[in-house]
Amino acid sequence: MDTSSPTVFVNGELLKLYMGRRVRTVVQVIRNEGGAVVGQSTDNQQLTVKGPNQSVPVMNFMEVIGVADGPQSIRAEICTDFGSNFDTASYNGLCKLANGQFKNLFL
Amino acid sequence: MYASHQDGGASHFYGGGFMPSQATQTPDQAGSSKTRSSTTSTTVPLTIKQITEAYHLNDERADFLIDGVEPSLVRLLGRVLNKAERVTDVSFLLDDGTGSIEVTRWVSDSFDTDEMTKIENGMYIVLIGKLKAFQGKRHIGAHAVRPVQDFNQITLHFMECIHAHLDNSRKATAVPATTSAMNDMRAYQTLNVGTGASGDIRDVVLSVFQEPASLARENGLHVNEIIRRLGLQEQKIREAIEYHVEVGNIYSTIDDDHYKSACNG
Repeated sequence: MDTSSPTVFVNGELLKLYMGRRVRTVVQVIRNEGGAVVGQSTDNQQLTVKGPNQSVPVMNFMEVIGVADGPQSIRAEICTDFGSNFDTASYNGLCKLANGQFKNLFL
Repeated sequence: MYASHQDGGASHFYGGGFMPSQATQTPDQAGSSKTRSSTTSTTVPLTIKQITEAYHLNDERADFLIDGVEPSLVRLLGRVLNKAERVTDVSFLLDDGTGSIEVTRWVSDSFDTDEMTKIENGMYIVLIGKLKAFQGKRHIGAHAVRPVQDFNQITLHFMECIHAHLDNSRKATAVPATTSAMNDMRAYQTLNVGTGASGDIRDVVLSVFQEPASLARENGLHVNEIIRRLGLQEQKIREAIEYHVEVGNIYSTIDDDHYKSACNG
């Protein structure tokens, strides 16, 4: 990240609330479709990730940091391979807490 | 018990400065709060946003107050950016998604250098270090830096930040309730405090002012610190403060935004 603007933790549901803003989420890679990656969010929604760094293998988890440019799409700036062992339930819970009661700690 | 023994019921009279200060009156309380902050070494997991918003107590001593706690060490997790290696130290910017802060890691032996050569830009790391301020700018002096290998640690770290925040906030507001000296005051207050949501907010606001840490501060607390601590609307907090000023529980100190409890604990 070059800028120090805060990045919101989102899941599929929360993504649509932050259109046009920098967000971060973790998806499980389902397939690669020529330049875009289709992934499953931690709350089981399908998200499309466009942009560079698409070298994460299918079935692995990928963290995406980028700008939300659609209710189910992110224009990625940075993608990181999070491996095959990632707890989606906890991450999903964190997204809800970070956007709800404890938003003041994060944003 | 202390209150009735030593001031003979005088604590009922909120003299606003006429009573001896809390530190001398109830040595047990003051002693316990000092012990808590000086002998216990606290490592607090934090988000960088919490650091940038932390209340800075004293410019020379570089002490910060977060959720009523003065952490001796902080734990942060984020990405490394702009790593710069120099002869005696390695510095970089840590970005955890809530903000960024400059970090310096002094390297004095091969163990330190080895630790730092593994760290590259873009990598997720966990660090333990001391929070410092220099000329108004905050930065971290890192004691230990480790790369994140299991990414579940990221979720865990932020969960722990939330947990520590809840724990410290709850502890801070619970302290006045457990001291027996407060019992007289509480009884007095229940006559005045209204029922319902406004009554609860007034209670909570007053208890923040009555913490030993708050009483020890000469100029009391700034309104914004209360707002940040409790996470409530400014309007509601200002209303609670106005109420307490009217009944004489708190008074303004250096300006209209600083208030201090008039009670001696």
